[in-house]
Amino acid sequence: MPRPRRRIGFVGCPPEDVLAPRRRHELIDLDNLVEGVEARSQTILPRTTCRIIRRILDNALSLNLDEIVIDEGYGKCDAARGLADVLADLLSIPIVRTRNDARAGAGTPICDSDLPVRRKMELILDGLVKPQALTLRAEANPRAAIWGVPAADFALYELFPAGAQVLGWTRCLENRTPADGELELFVPANVPVVFFAQTFCPKNVIAQHLARKHHGLHVDFDGVMSRTVRAKIEAYLRFRGALD
Amino acid sequence: MARLADFGTAWTKLLDTDTGRRQVLPSRDAHGIRADIATGHNADRRAPRHVNELIALAQGGERLIRERDFVLLDVGSRDVKYVHLRGGELAAMDWETTCGALTGFTLELLGRYYDLDYSAIPPADLAVPVTCGVLGMEQLFELVSQGVSEADAVARFARGIALNAHRFIGEPGRFYLSGGMCENRLFLRSFPDGVEVIPLGRFVLVEGLVAEMQRSAETAAGG
Repeated sequence: MPRPRRRIGFVGCPPEDVLAPRRRHELIDLDNLVEGVEARSQTILPRTTCRIIRRILDNALSLNLDEIVIDEGYGKCDAARGLADVLADLLSIPIVRTRNDARAGAGTPICDSDLPVRRKMELILDGLVKPQALTLRAEANPRAAIWGVPAADFALYELFPAGAQVLGWTRCLENRTPADGELELFVPANVPVVFFAQTFCPKNVIAQHLARKHHGLHVDFDGVMSRTVRAKIEAYLRFRGALD
Repeated sequence: MARLADFGTAWTKLLDTDTGRRQVLPSRDAHGIRADIATGHNADRRAPRHVNELIALAQGGERLIRERDFVLLDVGSRDVKYVHLRGGELAAMDWETTCGALTGFTLELLGRYYDLDYSAIPPADLAVPVTCGVLGMEQLFELVSQGVSEADAVARFARGIALNAHRFIGEPGRFYLSGGMCENRLFLRSFPDGVEVIPLGRFVLVEGLVAEMQRSAETAAGG
């Protein structure tokens, strides 16, 4: 008799050997927006917690999960590691703690493709739940790039021209090497780059530094992208020749 | 003919490109006004074509300043923003609505409240540490309650705003100023000694819209 299909949430990019056997169950990426989930994290987490960690907790508390798998290795932050303890105390389900230190890259064809950036992000994130064989065209001359972690507000990605390259931790995510610091720091020469991290995310330190070093633009926002951030990105891309 | 508009939070600036007529009116009296190309708060709902404020500011600066290198600061009612062009290329820019919130608005409000003539008030040596307009005002009232004259307290507040704005743009020795504060003599004199402030007036963003209109015409003509 087949075992019942369970509902399993995961955080970050757990190792493939942990995720693969769970794909026959309902897998939910808790970093992603789930419509209709109640915001309960604000009474539990400090106000200086980034929007993604809040979202993970909101999802975990609302989705009646049977199990949560967390990557709490170098590829994830102290807040996520702390969140694993919070979840273990608040929920009576197994919390599976993993560390993804993989260095064997799966490749970055989506990041380097000619697709619109928003579509790239959707494919990268969906690929963790359901890996797909995609036929993609590489963008030979990306007019811009976006560096960073996946944003809580995907409107960010609509500001970029199609084919803009995806860099930073998101690139590591597609490559399935979330702890690959060298890949995370990769920035191509002579391409205007917007460096993004959620407000309160420690990655802002390196984002701001890289922006200064590579004549890029550093932005952060907490949840919804503000009008001023939108204007800064539009102006930067336009004056750097990335937009018509 | 085209009507270009900068729909600011407190003031609306209009330019009729056919007649060259310019108008400045309180935004509360401009609710029904629409434009062909606009920038500013809610501009996207009041014109078929919207240009964001930073782009308008940079393009306006390029039209008005015949230099390849310049820093241009805009102090609005509720925000501060700047662009820095080096060799004709965008070198830096920023737009602050949180820490710079309500500074210009507060200075206007205080002028009316205390019935002050800003052209007659000397700049202050001391500055109120102005985190934002609201917090700065709290300190200003505290100074008045301690016996500091209203004019001196407001002058310290103006100096606090000026020092913040100067730091915000990277403390250049010379820069251009855009916005209503160009008409506030006290504010113009409140920047650090030796810093050259060149006021460009209230129509810099509208000039940026003129540049946008010309750019579109060139694109349409295939140029």
